[in-house]
Amino acid sequence: MKKSSIRNKRRITVFDSVNNTVLLLIAVVCIYPFLYILFIACSDGTFLTRGQVDFFPKGFNIESFKYVLTNPKFDIFTGMKNSFIYTLFGTLIAVVFTYITAYALSRPRLKQRYVIMTLFVITWVFEAGIIPQYIVYSKLGFIDNIWVMIVPGAINTQFLLITKAFLDGLPAELEEAAFIDGGTDFQTLTKVFLPISKPILATIGLFNAVSIWNQYLVPQMFLKSDNLKTIQQILKSVVITSGNSGTVFTNVMRNGFTLNQNNMKAAAIFIAMTPIACIYPFVQKYFKKGILIGSVKG
Amino acid sequence: MKKKGMKILGKGNKAVTIPLTKKPLKQRIKKDLKKNRQLYLLLLPGIISLILFKFGPLFGMVIAFENFSAFKGILGSEWAGFKWFIKIFHDPYMLKLLKNTIILAVLSLVVVFPIPIIFALFLNEIKQKAIHGFVQSLSFLPYFISSAVMVSILFTMLSPTNGIVNNLIKAMGKTAIHFQASPAWFRPMYVFLQVWQTFGYSAVIYIAAMTAVDPALYEAAEVDGANRWVKMLHITLPSIAVSVITMFIISVGNIFTVDLDRILLMYNSSVYSTADVIQTYVYRIAFESSGFPNYSYGTAVNLLKSILAFILVMLTNKAADKYAETRLF
Repeated sequence: MKKSSIRNKRRITVFDSVNNTVLLLIAVVCIYPFLYILFIACSDGTFLTRGQVDFFPKGFNIESFKYVLTNPKFDIFTGMKNSFIYTLFGTLIAVVFTYITAYALSRPRLKQRYVIMTLFVITWVFEAGIIPQYIVYSKLGFIDNIWVMIVPGAINTQFLLITKAFLDGLPAELEEAAFIDGGTDFQTLTKVFLPISKPILATIGLFNAVSIWNQYLVPQMFLKSDNLKTIQQILKSVVITSGNSGTVFTNVMRNGFTLNQNNMKAAAIFIAMTPIACIYPFVQKYFKKGILIGSVKG
Repeated sequence: MKKKGMKILGKGNKAVTIPLTKKPLKQRIKKDLKKNRQLYLLLLPGIISLILFKFGPLFGMVIAFENFSAFKGILGSEWAGFKWFIKIFHDPYMLKLLKNTIILAVLSLVVVFPIPIIFALFLNEIKQKAIHGFVQSLSFLPYFISSAVMVSILFTMLSPTNGIVNNLIKAMGKTAIHFQASPAWFRPMYVFLQVWQTFGYSAVIYIAAMTAVDPALYEAAEVDGANRWVKMLHITLPSIAVSVITMFIISVGNIFTVDLDRILLMYNSSVYSTADVIQTYVYRIAFESSGFPNYSYGTAVNLLKSILAFILVMLTNKAADKYAETRLF
């Protein structure tokens, strides 16, 4: 009796097929908008104007990508380059600062660790707001200074808590053994703890990278020069604000294909999301892990 | 200072003092610093950024009680007492801002909150691992895409001239809708973006809780003749109850936190009547006012909001501790 019911579970029922179909449809709907943008970017402008591009590109070409990347009036290339630099160095500093701070705060012999952790949590829960932040950061020289993307946000309290929880969970014998062998704190950190911390380093590295790449408010507040702007700021000015009458967008012919403003905007949007879309398949298991540990805050 | 302690005879009959009480503070600090020197060095960047980047702005909030002038600085500007706070209570626009902020938050709670739970319940019923993984991976991809890209895509699809949505509307013989400039459409668009960006992400937590359920429970239910729906409602759903309560409490605590990036990217002056919230108003005071920006007033508005948000988070943290046995911090 019991056996047959278990076998029943393995059989595909009507419920299963409907459920599978509906959920697969939901997944497709989730990413269809991204594909739609790609189809527009790859289509010939004349079909777009007639409203004929829905589910696949028409008049396939990749001229729009070449055009927006090489034409300096869009600043797409500059924006991508800046965002890459900020993300690379910002992530590096963030991971190092977060890890060493969490390491020190997870050592029981550090008497002040509760006080320091509490201070971090207070600044996390009680927000100063953007005006005091703007005034104080300008005094520190962060206006039009690329370091604003790298240093002030390096230690995110939530990531600090996650990393500290991970280090707290490691056995105390690890450190004791290293000390008996005559190791200093620096040696213990690099030789003993760092190698076994790879999963947490990958997770906080990825979350930091994504958040630096994606942020809009901080660069918009502090980076005013055109040559320092991030790709997100460029998207706002080129795609969202410029409306439909922007003079930046005049139709052009390239290698026999018509490019109109919709082609160019779609190409810009797609370029801006490419880096994350490219790494996503390879790192999504770390993302998933990060969501889970982030949700059970220490 | 005479050392307190017990005198005993040490080697060679010399008196040795074994300290019974602690050494003087200065000495202990010195010893601690020497012993944990490298630990303190590791802590240095953290302490510096805590003071400069996190407590600096908190200290800067005193300008809410000043007539702040950029020339005189935070320390040099004269005190204004509660002048700006009194002004807030006489400003009718504040009510409008508060109303807009709370409506967006409540919509997020009512519309956005249940969707990942329903999604997770049905995803849990998929037994084929490959389909399960594929659907889940695609569903939380949008969480990692920037607000600027998401808003750009939304506005491209809703474009009155060539967007796919207005193409459909026109095909049905109706006139195109100018979504971007319509105050009535702002809230639905904001909520739609939030669902699209977060439902897969939020579902990850519920799905993880569901996988922890003992399969024997389902088998026992099957023996008793329970069908799919009964098992979903009476085994799967209760298994995530704690997660649901926790997430709900966290969402209530974040009621004053709107997605500022998203609103700044989405709104324009024609939709202020529904889109302007406390933070966007403060942002405009700081960066888009004509003439000298009134930093003090903006900070006072923000300070009140921060106090309300702080109280709410502390209360909900207590509630989470009591009802769900988890805490945020």
